[in-house]
Amino acid sequence: MTCIAYHRPTSLGAALELAAENPDARFIAGGTDLLVKLRKRVHASPAALISLRRIDELARVEVGECLRIGAAVPLADLAVNEHVRERLPALTDALATFGSRQIRNVATLGGNLGNASPGSDAAPPLLVHDARLELRSTSGVREIPLAEFFRGPGETALGAGEIVTAILVDGPSEGAVSVFFRKSRVSMDIAIASVAVLLEVDGTRCTKARVAAGAVAPTPLRLEAAEAALEGTALDEAACAAAVASVDAAIAPISDVRAEEWYRRHVTAVLLRRALMRLAGSTAAVPTGGGGVS
Amino acid sequence: MQISFELNGSMRRARVEPHERLIDLLRDVLGETGTKEGCGEGECGACTVLVEGRAVNSCLFPAPEVEGLRVVTIEGLCGEGLQLSPVQAAFLEGGATQCGFCTPGMVVSTVALLGENPAPSASDIRNALTGNLCRCTGYVQIVEAIQSAAAKLSAGGEA
Repeated sequence: MTCIAYHRPTSLGAALELAAENPDARFIAGGTDLLVKLRKRVHASPAALISLRRIDELARVEVGECLRIGAAVPLADLAVNEHVRERLPALTDALATFGSRQIRNVATLGGNLGNASPGSDAAPPLLVHDARLELRSTSGVREIPLAEFFRGPGETALGAGEIVTAILVDGPSEGAVSVFFRKSRVSMDIAIASVAVLLEVDGTRCTKARVAAGAVAPTPLRLEAAEAALEGTALDEAACAAAVASVDAAIAPISDVRAEEWYRRHVTAVLLRRALMRLAGSTAAVPTGGGGVS
Repeated sequence: MQISFELNGSMRRARVEPHERLIDLLRDVLGETGTKEGCGEGECGACTVLVEGRAVNSCLFPAPEVEGLRVVTIEGLCGEGLQLSPVQAAFLEGGATQCGFCTPGMVVSTVALLGENPAPSASDIRNALTGNLCRCTGYVQIVEAIQSAAAKLSAGGEA
């Protein structure tokens, strides 16, 4: 890979100006997806790289009306952030097994979501927490639900010169619990299948259910039929079985070097069942979240 | 572009290309060849170095990005007269090195781990070394060597 210039702006405005002036430039934060793709010539060499590592406003986690996660915070920092751990248990699960320590020390949510791998581990947890993305360019700022951000493998709703600047999650509701499970061949491998679940329970009734899956469709996606099978129920065996049964028609896994289609279908259903079993025990009182298995 | 940064305790200046990686700067420009390139894709960890105390894959770290930062490589872990650090000595004594190619990265990752967790369990160690692959040893002696080094360091000494 060759490129003409490496820019290190220290303000977001300067970074966006550079992008507007250099349409052939690419943004780089951790670089753990981009540099691999450039080496493999998935993308042509960019004329310039615009580093996002020295822009303070992209590197902060702030709590106000909502939780605002700067798009360039290293994942290792998010994994130990008290607000992320308290409000986003499913994301905390995903971060514990994300890549490797070396990757997590530099990789970012902005980069992972912008890379739009169908197997992104960050996407299912953020989808079940109804995350929104803040996008900025020199033309202005807009928000988009994460559920509308992914358009296909490697394709997003980002326009020219636009970057993700923050991930926004509204304040947690009382009694919300979430968990993330993934299955891969070895620890440091892209997932064969992953599932995130969030449940809100009022008394004995499930008032909100969010289910999302990764690595089993062209994009990470919500499993709305599973959600409908759970909402309004007492999360009894019949409701859970109906949710699990709905998975097969909702996903579109492929066979590849990591796993075959039939196995991915099977595993997704298993992961959903395990997630429901894990959360069913936690919905009685204070949200506790759950752990991840690889 | 001209950059300057701290490498193993000394300030270094170098001229780097915009597309150069930290591993290229270390090995080809500065001649510090202890850091190895096993895959070039951030999977194997043979290229692991510490930047500001954090383990990173130098094969994916842009060289221009290291301006003003502190870098420690395997060469920086030796004491006076090339005396081995406790982690290195433990690897040697424990048979945790066969071909040796993964070893610099393993040792650097271990130093990062012990800096955060001085008494890691075998499970903690395996988790921390997810990003360091070994094709020779089967990892058993590596885990044991790290536990041995951790015990010695707890008794006094620096990694």
